[in-house]
Amino acid sequence: MNVNFARRARVTALYISLIALAVLFSGPLGWLILTSLKAPSELSVFPVQWFPSTPQWHNYLDALTFIDFLGYARNSLILASITSVLTTVSSAWMAYGFARLSAPGKKFWFGLLISTMMMPGIITLIPTYLMFAKLGLVDTYVPWILWGLCGAAYMIFLFRQFFSGMPKELEEAAILDGCGHVRIFWKIFIPQSWPVLAACMVLTFTASWGDFVAPSLLLSADRTTLAVAMTAGYVNEKGFPVQNLLAAGSTMFILPVLLMFLFFQRFFVQGFSTSGLK
Amino acid sequence: MTATLPASRETPPAAPARPRRRRGRAGQRTRTFYLFVGPWIAGFVLLTLFPLGYAFWMSLTNTDGLSPNWSYVGLDNYVKVFQDSQTIASLGRTGIFMLATVPTGVAAGLLMAVLLNRDFRGRAVFRALFYLPAVVPGVAAALTFKIIFDKNAGAANAVVGAAGGEPISWLADPYVRSVLILMMLWGVGGSMIVSLAALQDVPRELLEAAKVDGSGPVHSFFKITLPILSPIIFFQVVTGVIGSLQVFVPSLLLAPVNGAAAVTAVPEGNYFFMVHVYAEYFAKSHFGYASALLWVLFLFVLLVTGVVFKIGNRAVFYGGVDPTEGKQG
Repeated sequence: MNVNFARRARVTALYISLIALAVLFSGPLGWLILTSLKAPSELSVFPVQWFPSTPQWHNYLDALTFIDFLGYARNSLILASITSVLTTVSSAWMAYGFARLSAPGKKFWFGLLISTMMMPGIITLIPTYLMFAKLGLVDTYVPWILWGLCGAAYMIFLFRQFFSGMPKELEEAAILDGCGHVRIFWKIFIPQSWPVLAACMVLTFTASWGDFVAPSLLLSADRTTLAVAMTAGYVNEKGFPVQNLLAAGSTMFILPVLLMFLFFQRFFVQGFSTSGLK
Repeated sequence: MTATLPASRETPPAAPARPRRRRGRAGQRTRTFYLFVGPWIAGFVLLTLFPLGYAFWMSLTNTDGLSPNWSYVGLDNYVKVFQDSQTIASLGRTGIFMLATVPTGVAAGLLMAVLLNRDFRGRAVFRALFYLPAVVPGVAAALTFKIIFDKNAGAANAVVGAAGGEPISWLADPYVRSVLILMMLWGVGGSMIVSLAALQDVPRELLEAAKVDGSGPVHSFFKITLPILSPIIFFQVVTGVIGSLQVFVPSLLLAPVNGAAAVTAVPEGNYFFMVHVYAEYFAKSHFGYASALLWVLFLFVLLVTGVVFKIGNRAVFYGGVDPTEGKQG
């Protein structure tokens, strides 16, 4: 009886703390959605009004036209697709070398790869931007294609860990059959690694979709991405933010990322547990 | 016996050709390795090494990026770094920000992971709810917090108003830094997921054996779970430290002005080192001096990472496995 009571008290305490945390963590997005449904007059009253008196669903339509939302979204989509496809394929390609092949200098390059993971990206980004500006590559997608082709250190590491765990017999048999490493990579390793491929695609896509610094440096106002346009677009003639439309726009900006996350949640978690961060 | 020999990969069929073929095969193997890894090396040289060198070269000049009239100034820019009161103040602020976000973030993530590391109803829902903010892009998180802490329409002042207080200007000094720190902690789910994945690797038998020996859950946590988790915690501290030293985008996004002018409007509390660098580059066109600042940050990151690793080597338990050696294929 006593033990049962203590157990029940523990479970109740667990749930209470979890629910309190859940409220704290979902609160901000909740407020964003509430704001997105308010009428302009409900935004500047004090004390602040919690709920919209009638949900203004048309705010979402207005947010699409207040700035060229769909145009910027298309730019973001193109950029994020280029980045995620190229980065994923090239990172897997390089990881195959690190995981399955040996050559003099391999240890050195791998050590260098690991240390670039520690390197603050922003330090190279600004001079890289200045370099691209000198080469006249500003306002094109070329920088992203180059970044994509050169892979991402973290993703190379992730693939390398995954490839290293695959049985050696796999390629030995293929080599005996006269198969080269390029074909082994495409025909054996790529089809076997779709969970990592998916994780890498999703992670790089969402990172690129949300990226602010690179597009704000490298792209002009009309070719820029949604992430950059969001931060500056929703202001009235006096320069003050139009809160309800900004909130509606932000909600629509977050939505694709959240949907991807919900669909691929498994891969996010799997990506972490198979990467062997230890 | 002899019949099986040719099938062995290591033994070439004909003895006289052996040395040449060996070298040929080794050469072939090296070429294949560089065929695969080459693009990364090219990328490293072009997109990391070259920009770093370019920044270093600029740091020795007084260039503004456009004017052809620049001159070589030696190490003057580096001397200036240590005389510029804004640089030193912004570095101090960055340090405080790091101390305020990294330990709390890692500890909160670990605590939440421990709460979720058991079987109960609704576990997946809670895990998703806690992790969700971590996948919200930084831009959207900043916009959301700007709306919540808006003086007129924000939830924060709704609470203040309900308590009978006057509205507070959250996005100005001295409150804006706390808003930024809260925003960072909102994304603590990322750290939670990493810790949770690690917690699931802690052997059950070990914890059960300790329980049989009379060890309580708290004692077991500190004596068994925590040491096993220490490499993961260490990893998070290192990435957290590096991340917080280069923080500047959230500062820009929480500034009262948007667009290119944002950097000049960042409240002092959020004027971190990287904000200063960005302002020197793009608001003042001091490319030479800004590049010197960038190099100082680079060296500083190296130094801090070195110190963290030094401490980490003493505190981290790797279970007798060399952490730098992954599973070899």
